[in-house]
Amino acid sequence: MDRRQLLTTFGLSIAGAAVPRFAFASAPTDKRLVVVLLRGAMDGLSAVPAWGDPDFERARNGLAIPRPGEAGGGLALDGFFGLNPELPGLAGRYAAKELVVFHAIASPYRDRSHFDGQNLLENGSPRPYGLADGWLNRSLAGLPAALRTGRRDFAIAIAPAMPLILRGAAPVTSWSPSVLPPPDADLIARVQGLYGETDPALAKALAAAGEAQAAAAGMGGGPGEGFGVLMAAAAKFMAAPDGPAVAVVESTGWDTHAAQAGPYSVLQRNLRGLDGGIEVFAEGMGERWKDTAILAVTEFGRTVARNGTAGTDHGTGGAAFLVGGAVAGGRVIADWPGLKSSALRDGRDLMPTNDLRGVMKAALTQHLGVEPAHVDRVVFPDSAAAPAMRDLFS
Amino acid sequence: MSLQDAAIAANRFGLGARPGDLKAIAGDPRGWLKAQLTPEPALPAPLAALPSTADDAGAFQKWIRQAGLTGSINAYAKAPSMSGGPMPGAKPGSPASQPGFSVEQSFIAFFGPRYAQALAARFQVATTTDRPYFERLTHFWGNHFTVSSAKPITQAMPPSFERDVARKHAMDHFEAMLIASCTHPGMLIYLDNYISVGRHSLVGMRPDLVPKPLRELLKGLNENLAREILELHTLGVRSGYSQDDVIALANILTGFTVAQDGKGGGETGLFRFQPYAHEPGPQTLLGQRFPQQDVSQGAEALTMLARHPATAKFIATKLVRHFIADDPPPRAVDTIAKVFQVSIGDLKSVCTALVDLPEAWDPTPRKMKPPEPYLISAVRGMGGPPLNGLQLAALLGKMGQRPYYAPGPDGWADVEGEWIGPDPVWKRLEWASTVSKYMATASGDPVALGEALLGPGLTDATRKAIQRAESPAQGLAILLVSPEFQRR
Repeated sequence: MDRRQLLTTFGLSIAGAAVPRFAFASAPTDKRLVVVLLRGAMDGLSAVPAWGDPDFERARNGLAIPRPGEAGGGLALDGFFGLNPELPGLAGRYAAKELVVFHAIASPYRDRSHFDGQNLLENGSPRPYGLADGWLNRSLAGLPAALRTGRRDFAIAIAPAMPLILRGAAPVTSWSPSVLPPPDADLIARVQGLYGETDPALAKALAAAGEAQAAAAGMGGGPGEGFGVLMAAAAKFMAAPDGPAVAVVESTGWDTHAAQAGPYSVLQRNLRGLDGGIEVFAEGMGERWKDTAILAVTEFGRTVARNGTAGTDHGTGGAAFLVGGAVAGGRVIADWPGLKSSALRDGRDLMPTNDLRGVMKAALTQHLGVEPAHVDRVVFPDSAAAPAMRDLFS
Repeated sequence: MSLQDAAIAANRFGLGARPGDLKAIAGDPRGWLKAQLTPEPALPAPLAALPSTADDAGAFQKWIRQAGLTGSINAYAKAPSMSGGPMPGAKPGSPASQPGFSVEQSFIAFFGPRYAQALAARFQVATTTDRPYFERLTHFWGNHFTVSSAKPITQAMPPSFERDVARKHAMDHFEAMLIASCTHPGMLIYLDNYISVGRHSLVGMRPDLVPKPLRELLKGLNENLAREILELHTLGVRSGYSQDDVIALANILTGFTVAQDGKGGGETGLFRFQPYAHEPGPQTLLGQRFPQQDVSQGAEALTMLARHPATAKFIATKLVRHFIADDPPPRAVDTIAKVFQVSIGDLKSVCTALVDLPEAWDPTPRKMKPPEPYLISAVRGMGGPPLNGLQLAALLGKMGQRPYYAPGPDGWADVEGEWIGPDPVWKRLEWASTVSKYMATASGDPVALGEALLGPGLTDATRKAIQRAESPAQGLAILLVSPEFQRR
């Protein structure tokens, strides 16, 4: 089946949706936002070492990333902060003023459960399970008309299951690489009809799946499902003129309780994958990179000191990245609390001094153009303490 | 005689009807379910043929040895995908010393056949068993106490954990299963407890007494298992315990480790209590003092947790959510929690009470089947196709649920939102469309098959859609993706 056939198959569902479909009639605005969820809690002090802090090496107790020029040394940024040696792509983006690094930042979550922490990060309320849908989905209702017009999907998850952050009332789709031949158009139409009669949830899911398949026509599966493959797919979807404005890509395996140092550790491998994935995505976006922002966030940071198993445990403050052609970058934004024992939260965690919601709000309002009132009221309820950060986008 | 109740028993409580099942059990569907709630007379042969727990526990080190890798095990424990040999420090002449050696390929070559065998065994038992309710429960408990192959060092562990903990204790008291879980090498390694050391223990005070390669690992307390016991295995998150309780339980569990050699007691690869790593002194957990000085401190604390009212509520909620509805009806949860408490966690009584819940017999199928149960029910229903372990891994991986690879210690999700995204729905349609072409002839008239598998649950809309299909294969595909076949 080709793309046109698929579109015909799903024509009915498109016509039935509330979204006017004037493909290319009015050019969609070209803004794109990718949210990368780093699941498992990335160690912010390994990703973004704070060499300017006189307590850094002492506090990390054997886990400090060596300084630039030393064996296995990292990459310098602003004289105080640097990047892990596995993040050369991001260092280049920093130099090109396309990267803002945030440090000592956290969601409002203050306990230490991954599942609650990720739930809060995705539901957008100040509480785990405070809301049953995701903040990014709720934001879609506030997208400006120009971004809604002529678009098959506002948002896509590059994942075999829809993550909470994108679950909700607004129509979204998902896609992951495939191995089996696609079903024929006739079977799809019959099944869509059956679902339409008896099962609205399945009907909605299948309609969205068909849209994604049409967009992915000819893409096929990649050699694997590593982060780079997923980011390449995300770029393929988003580079299209009428491609989704928003995407979510997940990266897992950041829960480094043991043996996190050294070039072969899972942490270093993850950072390498993150860096490569962002570069693959940037390349795939081509011209549209200049209108794009990627926000990479994690549920919480990790303990400052090395634990008994040469890793780190669940902490609080950590790091985040905002990178893209649309970003006013070349800066590290941190209200640095210091690494003295007395400055640590509960004597163990980096004290968070900035709220991730401020960055998320800025991405929605200043980058995508979502109504600020909608963001404050609906997307992030009870978030008055975390106003949108200013001047993050060019 | 109720075909409707028979369909509910076979599909909602079981793993999906086979042709003929509904008629056979329609006389007493509840009795048919309850009769399955007995310990197994003998392990099913495919499971008995799998490696022992000790063998699974030693598999990772065996791989390291065979490949000729050296240095800290933990350098490889979480990073098997680095590639490009020869590896620094590899034993001369070993595979790892060869140019072109790939840690990842070596890992897959070693563990792949083992995983494929375990997967095929699990699937074969599930698709052929006459005790599908019992089998569902073993899967449920295996997921409740998740040990995942997603962590390389526990790649081989989930099958023996499921067999020797979840399955073995499925009709036991909950506290027995909890203690079995916390003393199984799979759980001890998966959640890092095997290297957790009490600060004031001998090992904690005198690290110089520990041989050097081990010293790097054994340096302190690790809270991971303790936290997940409270959050995921017993009380449930936000049930009132504090960070101090997590630390107290972590201290109590120091010394719960895995025997590395014959010295000091315990069969290699199995549980061993190591007093030299155990935090001395009494601990206070949830306000209760545990003065014991040895392994009995852990046993007492786990028993207290297993009998805690919050645990009864948490387990009841999960069971009712699993069998009845994503939003568990509170009355049903209360009923099950009460049975759990009164019977001191007797799982046979609890599972009998589930069958007796009026809410369980509502004819509307509400629960979306996750990918693996979906595939099992389709293969039970059609009597095929045969699928080997590697095919199962690839297929279920694409559908979003590669068995034994749960993404985290909270296991696979049990609510519709996780499984009804566009991509999973599409992947099922792809599979149904492909497989129906192979199975249409063998499985006969698709309307008759639908009636045999779903009874009165086959809706008029689906019946008509099957009847109007252009071919038996298309009709079978429609049955396989129909709402009433995807739900239970």
